[in-house]
Amino acid sequence: MGVWLIMAPHVFNYSKTMADNAHIVGPLIATCSLIATSECTRNVRLFNLPLAVWLLASPVVIGFHSDTALMNDYAVAIVIIFLLVIKPKRKHRFGGGWPAVWRSGSPHEREARQLRS
Amino acid sequence: MRDAAIPPGWDYNPAAWSQRIPIVVLAVIGFLIASYLALYQLRVFDTVWEPFFGNGSKKILNSPISHALPIPDGALGAFGYLVDAVAGIIGGKRRWKTMPWIVVFFGIAIGPLGLISVMLVVFQPVLFDAWCTLCLVTAFISVVMIGPSMDEFLASLQYMKRARNSGKSLWRTFWGYKDVVQNVN
Repeated sequence: MGVWLIMAPHVFNYSKTMADNAHIVGPLIATCSLIATSECTRNVRLFNLPLAVWLLASPVVIGFHSDTALMNDYAVAIVIIFLLVIKPKRKHRFGGGWPAVWRSGSPHEREARQLRS
Repeated sequence: MRDAAIPPGWDYNPAAWSQRIPIVVLAVIGFLIASYLALYQLRVFDTVWEPFFGNGSKKILNSPISHALPIPDGALGAFGYLVDAVAGIIGGKRRWKTMPWIVVFFGIAIGPLGLISVMLVVFQPVLFDAWCTLCLVTAFISVVMIGPSMDEFLASLQYMKRARNSGKSLWRTFWGYKDVVQNVN
């Protein structure tokens, strides 16, 4: 989706401001999505939510002049939000993950204590 | 018999060679491509390979931004990838425990490098209305390295928390002092 957003301005002939918008948001979406393919960073995909919301709001904020651009942005945003609902399956254990770095009583601590005894 | 190198609470070892070698290979490829681009920027080569975007690469690689610092950004990128490769290779398969300092350093090196690459990708069309194929390839490599590197980072952070909970000094844990390594799981 991010890559499509980067290419869309050329396919549909956006004006410069609209193209810039797509050229900034597109790479950001692609980056978050790529990082999120690793299971331990899978929640980075949630950063795509504010980006999708921005895609919904930006036509109004920036002032789009093209209906195709508007529909394209909205379509991308909706696809992204829909995909976010799908949670990738957990295959591995990470000792409680990132929250376990500051929370107490997490799996990695419990297992470490067991290993000791 | 459980592999002792797997961190407690995990089901695999993020510092295993099978985990780290692919990242190091990517870093080496990034290093080679960035060095090639840097050599063009330093005028060692007259032309640069650009299969899709015509003049794009030349425009980007000769732009004021790419020469804003005393060293062309290709060279900085090459150095960054080299640091990544070396930091990925140093240390054995328990380095999340025996060398947290290198894991943390590695994680910090990979993250910002990736994000700077993305920033440069954004600059290409927004500031210059041009694209550079090899620059995009290296940016892609940078981002792809981020996800797989973060698990080691997480394992070290969890370990340092356990050490601190056991009353060990954070400083000694971080630098891998033996008294901490042997006494904390």
